[in-house]
Amino acid sequence: MNARLFKNLAMPIALVVVCAFFAIKEPAFLGSRNLTQLIVEFSITGTLALGMFLILLTGQIDLSAGSGVGLIGGIAAVLVFQHAWPAPLAMLAGLGAALTLWTLMGTLIVRERIPSFIITLGGLLIFKGLFWLIIQNSTIPVTRGDRDNLYSQLTTYYLPEKIGFALAGTIVVFLGLVLWRERGRRVAHGLAVPSTNSVIGRFALIAGALVFAVDRFNHFRGVPLSLLILCGTAGVVYFLTQHTPFGRYMYAIGGNEEAAGLSGIAVNRVLIGAYLLMGVTVALTGFMTTAYSGASTTTVGDLMELDAIAACVIGGTALKGGRGSVWGVIFGALIMTALLNGMTLLAVSPEIKFIARGAVLTLAVWMDVRLSKV
Amino acid sequence: MPTPLLQARNLTKRFGGVTALRAVNFELQAGEIHALCGENGAGKSTLIKLLSGIHRHGSYEGELLVAGRVAEFRSIRDAEAAGIAVITQEFALVDELSVAENIFLGRPPRRGLRVDWLEMHRRAAALLADFGLAISPETPVRQLGIGQKQLIEIVRAMDKKSRVLVLDEPSAALTEQEVTVLLDHLRRLRAQGTTCIYISHKLDEVFAIADRVTVLRDGATITSLPRAEATVPLVIKHMVGRDLGELFPRRPNAARGEVQLAVRGLNVAPAKGAPPFLRDITFELRGGEVLGFGGLMGAGRSELLLHLFGAWGHRVAGEVTLRDQSFSNPTPRAAIARGLALVSEDRKRYGLILEQSVGFNLSLSSLPQFTRRAARLDLAAEQVRNQQIFEALRVKAPDQHARVGGLSGGNQQKVVLGKSLMTEPTVVMLDEPTRGIDVGAKLEVYELINRLTAEGKAVILVSSELPELMGLSDRLIMLHEGKIGGEFTRGEFSQERLLAAAMGQLRAA
Repeated sequence: MNARLFKNLAMPIALVVVCAFFAIKEPAFLGSRNLTQLIVEFSITGTLALGMFLILLTGQIDLSAGSGVGLIGGIAAVLVFQHAWPAPLAMLAGLGAALTLWTLMGTLIVRERIPSFIITLGGLLIFKGLFWLIIQNSTIPVTRGDRDNLYSQLTTYYLPEKIGFALAGTIVVFLGLVLWRERGRRVAHGLAVPSTNSVIGRFALIAGALVFAVDRFNHFRGVPLSLLILCGTAGVVYFLTQHTPFGRYMYAIGGNEEAAGLSGIAVNRVLIGAYLLMGVTVALTGFMTTAYSGASTTTVGDLMELDAIAACVIGGTALKGGRGSVWGVIFGALIMTALLNGMTLLAVSPEIKFIARGAVLTLAVWMDVRLSKV
Repeated sequence: MPTPLLQARNLTKRFGGVTALRAVNFELQAGEIHALCGENGAGKSTLIKLLSGIHRHGSYEGELLVAGRVAEFRSIRDAEAAGIAVITQEFALVDELSVAENIFLGRPPRRGLRVDWLEMHRRAAALLADFGLAISPETPVRQLGIGQKQLIEIVRAMDKKSRVLVLDEPSAALTEQEVTVLLDHLRRLRAQGTTCIYISHKLDEVFAIADRVTVLRDGATITSLPRAEATVPLVIKHMVGRDLGELFPRRPNAARGEVQLAVRGLNVAPAKGAPPFLRDITFELRGGEVLGFGGLMGAGRSELLLHLFGAWGHRVAGEVTLRDQSFSNPTPRAAIARGLALVSEDRKRYGLILEQSVGFNLSLSSLPQFTRRAARLDLAAEQVRNQQIFEALRVKAPDQHARVGGLSGGNQQKVVLGKSLMTEPTVVMLDEPTRGIDVGAKLEVYELINRLTAEGKAVILVSSELPELMGLSDRLIMLHEGKIGGEFTRGEFSQERLLAAAMGQLRAA
């Protein structure tokens, strides 16, 4: 029981410790300006981590994600800046490229039975090379002239106050309906349901927290669009993993691929599906992170795959597959982002940053191995 | 009475709120073969883990004495140093290494810093010859059969100068011949003074070899009998805590249904381009009927089932029809959709997602039944169906949210069966459904087979145990090296004729 309590509390405690450390060292860490930046960075890391979560869940890995992020962001930037494509169309083209590449990798992995480690390691190098070819080792802005477009606004747009509240209200109503219907179904099947009071209590808590958060954001500039993208992705991944056969199959394949196949699961199709979804999150992350740096340059996306893997593993996703949750990944991404952001704020030198990132990744994997044995 | 070589006094072991052993007493006299019997979950494995240092001293109450002195094992190494070697169902052999390397794994003979290969092979050859094993020390272990692997483990334990050999279900995967060889070796070791704890579900083996039988039930010692006083019914009665009637209660079903499955001239190769391994397999199966498949290990029984289910081999020739419709390019998914179900022999490898819950596993093959609009799972409907199966099969677990990996073998098997039954199959293929499960759970499996045929379903049963096969089948096909060695109807069953067919000695009429 204590071990379980420790597991559940470990992440929030780690997050608080990390934040407290940076806040003491540099009070500006908790300033609204830095927090807003942190939220954007969190959205970027978190979105990619959610894609990586699906890959790890099936027992696979994707080392090419970071290079892919640079490449897809670069494709869209080149289309906008050099070919004067409208931003939405350019991003759609980038998404198409990502879907093609990730489906191809997934297909190679399952049909030819090549370990994902090797294929995506190849992808890492090939995508990096393609990326630099496409941007010709230069800096390609995501806008043409000074005019903002959808691409550049991904990380700079904030929802107006009223729209923020309206959205929060819509989500609250939707959530209430879903919870109510689920409860109704359980009652219809004669299953036990939590008492009305506790449901209303929990619902009120969620609704209150949501409205409070929107209010806080509105005191600064409003709800960031990038956070909305992360929340949307998280919602989709949550629904997929917890409420669809596809999600069950991913857990089953990660737990025991042979048994999953003999249980009638189309293992290959599910795995390719996981890579396809990874492609989507790579594209989203690519657009956001390129927009965040303002332009596509050779270093965009560097080592992001490792941050994503670290976020997943810190959040309790098993590297051998079959275990993990969306909430864990979100927490893991938050811890990772706080670390990176805090170090940048303290002007930690890049050498030390590399070492710290490596240490965190190693520590997380070590903990994963230890916990897997329990 | 002399001081026991190994003695357990009032051992109590708890896992969280579960008490696995309650004040167990156990005495092992030097030079005896002592059988430990009990249903799965009775506490045998836990007791073994205490004796072998896996559950370290301090994690249990009571005391352990070796030759009269209190022993405090902190690790497996401590137990090994005290001369206790455990041979489990999961082999601790490295497939890619040779027999000699495996025997001396972790402690090869050395000359200076180098491994002394000549000495290693010489000593391994001597040990193997001692055991009367005609195996070259240089053979890679992967080329050995399961029975031979088992013997290599014993050779290794003996070379470590073990005084007490603990064999945990050594015969679970062995053919009858291999078991005979194993028992002969154990008798020889006993004559040389080795002491042995023998754990098996197969009571005929226990009675063939044990000097003493101790029965555990629900974590407590029920009785400890000398061989002369023990009888099969008595031991079973102590194990399950009640009398057993007929051991194989097959209720033949007079009404035969339609032909559910027809196989004609089937030839299957392990891979495309390879010579066929299964040859000229032809049979029919009707609703309400149990068709047994027997044969020696490697005769192709499991391969046949796996192929019908779409999980093994490349079909060279032949036709399979399910209810008059051809079933030509099988995959497990298509097979399940067409009403076939397979319960494979290796439930941990092929049957279960051990880390997940009972409910997760039960519904895994049936999720399309619960899928609604927009690919949404109706979790409530799923839970209700899971609960029905959970209760119908009397799975012993706190509830359907319990982790499958934590259940006993018999209960895990029930979950695998439940998963198959939830797909509402018309043809149920059971591959060694009672392997490694206790008597009580076996009876429940037999009852289930009766229930399935009474409902008009067709059952294929594969088993290595002839009495079980003869007791439960309406018809029997013995396979021999991938071909049908003989086919029998219930009236014609006799051990001699079946074995002759399994060995290819019976000319088909």
